[in-house]
Amino acid sequence: MGFWGFLASLVPFELAQGLGVTGRFLFKKKATIQYPEVKPVPKDRFRGMFGFSEERCIVCHSCAKACPIDIIHIQDHFEEIEVDGKKRKKKVLDRYDIDVKRCMFCGLCEEACPTKPLAIWLTTKSYEASAYERNERLYFTKERLQDWTGVRPYPGVVSPKDGQMPDDPTGGSAAGRGEAKP
Amino acid sequence: MANPWVAFLLVPLIKIVVILLAVILIAAYMSFFERKILAYMQIRIGPNRVGPRGWLQPIADALKLLVKEDIVPARAEKFVYFLGPVLVVAPALLVFSVIPFGPAFKLFGYEVTPYLTDVNIGILFILGVSSVGVYGVILGGWASNNKFSMMGGLRSAAQLVSYEVPMGLSVVTVLLMANSLSLVKIVEAQKQAGVWYFIPGIVAFFIYFVCGVAETNRNPFDLPEAESELVAGFHTEYSGMKFAFYFLAEYANMVVVSSIATVLFLGGWLPPFPNWLAAVWALPALAWIPPIAWFVLKMAAFLFVYIWFRGTFPRYRFDQLMDLGWKVFIPVSLVNLMAVGLGVLLIGGK
Amino acid sequence: MGNLEALKPFPDSEEMEISFGPQHPATHGVLRVLLRLDGERIVDAKPVIGYLHRGTEKIFERETYNGTIPHTDRLDYTAAATNNQALVGVVEKIMGVTVPPRASAVRVLLAELQRIASHTIWLGTHALDIGAQSPFFYTFEEREKILDLFEEYCGARLTLNSMRVGGQPYDLPDGWTDRCRTFVDQFPARVAEWERLLTTNRIWKLRTVGVGVISAANAVEWGLTGPPLRGSGVKWDIRKVFPYDRYEQYDFEIPVGANGDTYDRYLVRMEEMRQSVRIIQQCLAKLPDGPVMAKVPKVIKPPKGEAYFSVESPKGELGFYVVSDGGAHPYRLHVRPACFINLQALPEMVRGLLVADLIAVIGTLDIVLGEIDR
Repeated sequence: MGFWGFLASLVPFELAQGLGVTGRFLFKKKATIQYPEVKPVPKDRFRGMFGFSEERCIVCHSCAKACPIDIIHIQDHFEEIEVDGKKRKKKVLDRYDIDVKRCMFCGLCEEACPTKPLAIWLTTKSYEASAYERNERLYFTKERLQDWTGVRPYPGVVSPKDGQMPDDPTGGSAAGRGEAKP
Repeated sequence: MANPWVAFLLVPLIKIVVILLAVILIAAYMSFFERKILAYMQIRIGPNRVGPRGWLQPIADALKLLVKEDIVPARAEKFVYFLGPVLVVAPALLVFSVIPFGPAFKLFGYEVTPYLTDVNIGILFILGVSSVGVYGVILGGWASNNKFSMMGGLRSAAQLVSYEVPMGLSVVTVLLMANSLSLVKIVEAQKQAGVWYFIPGIVAFFIYFVCGVAETNRNPFDLPEAESELVAGFHTEYSGMKFAFYFLAEYANMVVVSSIATVLFLGGWLPPFPNWLAAVWALPALAWIPPIAWFVLKMAAFLFVYIWFRGTFPRYRFDQLMDLGWKVFIPVSLVNLMAVGLGVLLIGGK
Repeated sequence: MGNLEALKPFPDSEEMEISFGPQHPATHGVLRVLLRLDGERIVDAKPVIGYLHRGTEKIFERETYNGTIPHTDRLDYTAAATNNQALVGVVEKIMGVTVPPRASAVRVLLAELQRIASHTIWLGTHALDIGAQSPFFYTFEEREKILDLFEEYCGARLTLNSMRVGGQPYDLPDGWTDRCRTFVDQFPARVAEWERLLTTNRIWKLRTVGVGVISAANAVEWGLTGPPLRGSGVKWDIRKVFPYDRYEQYDFEIPVGANGDTYDRYLVRMEEMRQSVRIIQQCLAKLPDGPVMAKVPKVIKPPKGEAYFSVESPKGELGFYVVSDGGAHPYRLHVRPACFINLQALPEMVRGLLVADLIAVIGTLDIVLGEIDR
């Protein structure tokens, strides 16, 4: 670097260029989403919190087998019912628990479910799953899975409760202790 | 102002309180604006939850820092650990006593000067006092008994000492032109000359500002607190109010550097081109703008550039920083000093 | 740097030992580097790993083959798609399954998008480590767009679980290709913007040129792969040398550096993003129709044997080695992690440099502790 090179290097054109880039960004549209007020809507295939419909479940245990970390616990027994005068055996669901706190939301349970398309909507578009007590509030039993008000099913799938929004999966009418804090 | 008590005690006391409060408030809101502007440069919107559009954020921050637990590391040197923040914040605030925010004006029949005092060696006072701050940094870093803190403190000491030289040399060019050490006189000299000193002293101006950025440990020279290397540098172990002091001192120092740059190079409280456009500034539409507004405007521009730098540049490495200081800035400012001296000698200064 | 004694300004000064991490803002997770310092000069650096060990390889042994896929998402969690690709690739190899062309194309799309996403993270964090804050946010804005595409395709943003043995679980949703095209068309302009901010910047160059140099021969000896190897001038890319998923159809360049320093690796990665855009554009232009799933049994039981298969992940060569005993679970599934092997060169690269350079070198190796510790 000669003398003139040294002098030229004193004038920082490229630094000014960088300042120009950040200066332009000053006036660009901001990317922030004001989260609690504005809730981003997940895409249709979103794998979120769980919902469950007992009527549509055929108690095949496929989801429990497909789960890579065995967090779905199913218990059932056979009952005899009469259909058109014939006696038939039918599987009745006793327990359907999902230990959501360990779930990694891979969606393999849903893929394994034979009541397609997405009939018992194991995963839903709800994503607000935070809780103050994980062992109670993030262990979902059958009743809880059907009842909690956060369920927002996939499009085209009827939800047991209409007009539900993904507000608070662990609060609402669900069992569990304490009020959900804001 | 016949009564000496009023003249020598009451008025200065009121001024001290006003200036101190103003500086602390400016420093606090400086942090707010920094976060806001940085956020806007980074396609975010920054703090907006406390108060309307986040305007009470600095107050909330200050309250949080006040009530936070004050942790002293078990094997810290207690007294020095306590002394560090004090030594940093006191000089930073002390410097404001000589900075002229505006010309003398009449209030209720009294003549009031909007600065605490006009020392005839003002600029020397500022350079001297602000250098004390480095003790706070190095002592704080050493007393924390943390290797990262100590490295931060050492880096800071070396950096402050080496950047004071070119900074002082660039100030000297202004002194040559203005023929005075008093800050008020320097501004008045710029009025007489009809031209702000950043035009004849453009090189000195840039060197002063860059060294000012280095002096205040700001990006791209923020090595002492380089968060990705030294966690938080010299104030890693500080919490609560002590941390707030370091924080306050950093922002107060930024305000100091900006105000001195305003006074020395941008004509202080003078409106742009005071002589050529004198008729324009005398127009009733513009005459209502108080001189202090010009001062604040110029200072704010400097502070904005500070934040802009922080939003844009990567950080120098320590040895590169020293190289830049000793091998570029000092020779260039020496040459510049001689050139300006020659110019003053030939053209006649002022 | 060769002779340390010559660099020592004070011969009788003591060395300082400092534990850099595991909780440190610049170690990209829980890496701990045990440093021996002479002043600020690094005498020796020893990476200490294992803080994120989860026993993934052991967990694999109790999973079905498709059940392992969600676990691979968590290896290099910034590049889940390429991890999936490597795993399904090895199982398909041992089973002798050929995936349908459309499934291959979808895989390539996902993998290249993932490469861009991973490189944007790298650029953001690397620049942040060196002190430039803003690129972090600019790059993450682009990454969000990629994650939106992922979410639309497979329902997850980070841990994709997006591939299955024998093909793809879903077809592309309606309009996905258009949105993908919109993204890749505007992306090179954004890369140019980041380059304006950094490439010619004198501070950036001072911090990266000549820092963390590793020669081509040394890089090969250490087993480096990916951008760290290509930055040293070795033209080695699994996509070219052992093409998988029909990569031979696509026309793209392998960018290589010359000096093997941090700046060259930076340039290589920036160019790789552009090349990925090229691949995606070609892929979208001739996206074949047809099924996305080959005929595979519901329970996957590969024949007895073993196989190794590797892909070019954003970090380097990511390989899986499977040993099958004919059952539904892998007998052994070993990962050849790119980051783990790249990290081994760290002491060699930083010896004699300053602490600030360690940050730059950790950043340029682009390590992810999830893959290192597994």
